[in-house]
Amino acid sequence: MPVLYKASFGYLLRHPWQLGLALLGICVGVAVIVAVDLANSSSRKAFLLSMNTINGEASHQIVAGPGGVDENLYVRLRVEEGVQDIAPVITGYADVNDQTLQVLGVDLFAERTFRAYTLPAAGSSGARFALHETTFRDFLTKPGAVLMSTAAATSLGLSGGDNFTITTAGKDYPAVLVGTTNAHGSSAAIGSLLVVDIATAQHWFNKVGYLSHIDVRLRADQDTAATIRAALPPGTQLLSAESRTQSITEMSAAFMTNLTAMSLLALLIGTFLIYNSVSFAVLQRRKLIGVLRALGLTRRETFALIVAEGAVLGLVGAALGVVLGVWLGEQLLLLVSQSINDLYFRVTVTDVDVSPWSLLTGLVVGVGATGLAAIVPAIEAAGYRPQLSLARSVLEHRSRRLLPRIAVAGLVAAAAALIILPLSGTSLLAGLTAMFLLILGFALCIPVIVDAASRLSAGFAGRLGGITARLAVRDISASLSRTGVAIVALAVAVSATVGVSVMVDSFRVAVSAWIGNSLRADIYVGVPGGSLDLELVDDIGHLPGVAEISSSRRIWLEMPAGRTRLLVIDRAESGHGGTELLDAEPEATWRAFEEEGAVVVSEPYAYRNDVGQGDTLVLNTREGPQAFNIAATYRSYDANQGTVLMSRRTYQRYWQDDAIDSIGIYLAADASLQTVMDRMRELSQGRQVLYMRSNRDLRDLSLQIFDRTFVITDVLYWLAVGVAIIGILGSMLALQLERAREFAILRAIGMTPWQLGSMVTLQSGLIGLISGLAALPLGLLMAWVLIDVINRRSFGWQMDMSIAPSFLLTALALSTGAALVAGLYPAYRAASARPALAMREE
Amino acid sequence: MNANVQIRLSHLSRSFQEGEQRHVVLQDLSADFAAGETVALRGRSGSGKSTLLNLISGIDAPDSGRIEIAGLDITAMSERDRTLFRRVHIGFVYQAFNLVPTLTVADNIRLVLELNNVEEAYASQRIDELLAAVGLANRSASYPDVLSGGEQQRVAIARALAHRPRIVLADEPTGNLDDSTAADVLTLLDDLVREQGGTMIVATHSAKVAAFCDRVLELQDGRLIADSGHG
Repeated sequence: MPVLYKASFGYLLRHPWQLGLALLGICVGVAVIVAVDLANSSSRKAFLLSMNTINGEASHQIVAGPGGVDENLYVRLRVEEGVQDIAPVITGYADVNDQTLQVLGVDLFAERTFRAYTLPAAGSSGARFALHETTFRDFLTKPGAVLMSTAAATSLGLSGGDNFTITTAGKDYPAVLVGTTNAHGSSAAIGSLLVVDIATAQHWFNKVGYLSHIDVRLRADQDTAATIRAALPPGTQLLSAESRTQSITEMSAAFMTNLTAMSLLALLIGTFLIYNSVSFAVLQRRKLIGVLRALGLTRRETFALIVAEGAVLGLVGAALGVVLGVWLGEQLLLLVSQSINDLYFRVTVTDVDVSPWSLLTGLVVGVGATGLAAIVPAIEAAGYRPQLSLARSVLEHRSRRLLPRIAVAGLVAAAAALIILPLSGTSLLAGLTAMFLLILGFALCIPVIVDAASRLSAGFAGRLGGITARLAVRDISASLSRTGVAIVALAVAVSATVGVSVMVDSFRVAVSAWIGNSLRADIYVGVPGGSLDLELVDDIGHLPGVAEISSSRRIWLEMPAGRTRLLVIDRAESGHGGTELLDAEPEATWRAFEEEGAVVVSEPYAYRNDVGQGDTLVLNTREGPQAFNIAATYRSYDANQGTVLMSRRTYQRYWQDDAIDSIGIYLAADASLQTVMDRMRELSQGRQVLYMRSNRDLRDLSLQIFDRTFVITDVLYWLAVGVAIIGILGSMLALQLERAREFAILRAIGMTPWQLGSMVTLQSGLIGLISGLAALPLGLLMAWVLIDVINRRSFGWQMDMSIAPSFLLTALALSTGAALVAGLYPAYRAASARPALAMREE
Repeated sequence: MNANVQIRLSHLSRSFQEGEQRHVVLQDLSADFAAGETVALRGRSGSGKSTLLNLISGIDAPDSGRIEIAGLDITAMSERDRTLFRRVHIGFVYQAFNLVPTLTVADNIRLVLELNNVEEAYASQRIDELLAAVGLANRSASYPDVLSGGEQQRVAIARALAHRPRIVLADEPTGNLDDSTAADVLTLLDDLVREQGGTMIVATHSAKVAAFCDRVLELQDGRLIADSGHG
């Protein structure tokens, strides 16, 4: 190593605690980025792999409305139109021994083109089952014959020939395992897949005569698409398989972007702290840099030296961060996939898919952030005149002279953010950029405020606490080149905790009120992954104690432009008012809704599609595209891309589908909840296993799911707090070590160890308190942007900001407490140092 | 320029802003220094000695006037060129030694040689030679903070001379040393500079130090008030 670099790095190695804390800050910041990226990409990849396994070689799919595609269409296309590359498919979910597995119903004779199950070594599809002749025969002839992966069979405790029970939509069916596979490579994708004959699947999913979709393989040299489109009945469409998969994955894009933004916030805090560490390292070496400059080191070489040092720090920290990130990613994966399952679509993922790209991103981001953080101190170091020691008074004078310029730069950044916000429409990226600019802008204004406050309050502090207090307060301003950076770093870190806490709490308050308002029935009944038995629903309606029943059905409607969530409801009289309308008068709205076929759209839907009361929207009905009037927008915090609410009467008219997914039961005034639930259990015995929940249970469950969704936010929040505390420790240590000689002088002129220790502790606490106070407005500003800009642009939700004083007090306590704890060791060190030695060391 | 003149200072002025006031440190100072000459700069604190050394080394630039070294006008150079010029042609010895605490004695000297792109083999040989000359051959692996003041100053001298500069500047080189050590250090510095044929300018309060020099320039309030032989 060149001696020049040895001289520079030697300093870092002589201060292992500072070095360790700086590395730890970078390491945790990078780890969070890598972990979120790995968890997001692993979930997405697992879902895409599973979709690719299901889709096989299909380039397109024929889809229809909620009832499915009429199976006669398949026969007509194959026999009358001569289209060969098509295959009928039924998909759904079933429970076996408390495990949920995906069911794929296929016609083996049509499968060869799509999913090469019968040819172990042929085809390019992911999933392959090696079928022996006997297995093939059993699959086609045995009722309930199932194929599954060896892993799934082992996990279910099954082996070839075993009989078992499969449950779909609350009903049990007998099944038999006729074959297993040890397919390599794709085993993760087919691990939770059950393959059955199409007729069996139709029976299990109550779709006799219908198909989920028809797979189509279009070849470039054939004009099959036109032939197919000409044969499609109204309401049935030919869509690209890739775009269908894409539109499903897009649903979770905002969720994943928000997680990425949270991880970037952790890195931003990390970057401030790295900046803090590097500038301390430069400040403390100003004499060394002065000597090197006097010996002939040019400005450019000095700049390169500091940036290279930052880059090496960044590389080591980022490399450690990548390793930690892979481990953390495994922990986060469960939380991310759980949230995706709760909110968007089913995904089964057990292992982190460690992509080199994610690791490289972590390394580049870590080194880049450190390099960026090192640039300002490097410019400062390069600007040192080659004098032997830049007088501290000159340094402080220069820092103070720069304060107004720094504050102006901050105001410019904040103004840029405020200009970007209204001009950027619905762009999430612009929203996030504005948020980071606001943080930066506010942070740059903090030192000038701290300087003024410290100078103004020194006299007051002196009257209250004597010379110790006066010195402690005045020195914050007198050493602003050091304290300023520490306060900014700490304030940004603490403000992030305030911003995220207030946002999550506001959201929780809003969702809790929304759930309370929306859930009006006394009991809710449904079945997992299917529809209720209509006769059973009718019988429940006639039970003693049941006054009224509301019903709902949730379906996805597909259009070439994407998917639309349709919520079909049959409202009970008692449930009126449960839907909060935002832009129309209720009476007229519900009349148009029930009698004129109008729909009501959720707030996220209206925001995403830029529609509202008085507009129309087009939905693909069984009779083809149909325009519906929008009667109003309603408040909703649904996680999908918005919902269209339609009356059951209108739905049945256009889709001829009478299925019901869940019902709400309103009890008579004198009825007992428990008695009615017991009666329903008796009634459903042997017919359908029902999921029943009381109003209170469902509210609790909804909030549990909400809280579960934010567990990952909490984890990221505490990691950000961890990064902040590491930074505070590093800053305090560096700040007080830097002043060892000053303390020695104070000791030498008669200050007792106790006085000195008190002064250092008091100053540490004050720095924490000032940082906390500065963090409050910044945190609230961040909460406002998170609520009104980021959440709105990500999900289309609107909510009021609710500020619980406890969060603000916690932030102040965190900031002051952490700084006090961090100041204890330096205080002990200052108090116990021998003055003569400290002055000689300097 | 006279062929024997190594450094020519013409009408140098330098002042510093201190708050609202401007403090004049050097005023219209002119002087020549011959090659191989050893000159003492004397004067009270604040008379402008250190500022003059900083200007000659190119660490600082004058408000007006010219500094020519071996015929080159360093005041017309960019900051970068002045730095590179200093790297090659100037050696500086400071009162407070200013050794790099994170480097060993040998590496402190090697640093200057490395900045001058001296080959490693020659650098090692030169370091051994200099450490032997300053009597610290057995302390090459030591760090500065375990050396005495006199030893640290001897390392600083070795570092200042390592790259055989044309000009050696010394700012109170014995200010932190006792009389006996100061005499040893000064003799050593004088011998080595003369051996290399360089020009040395020493800023000092001390008459004893001045006695070692060929010429003495007396500064007062930033003006040259006397130029004599042994004072």
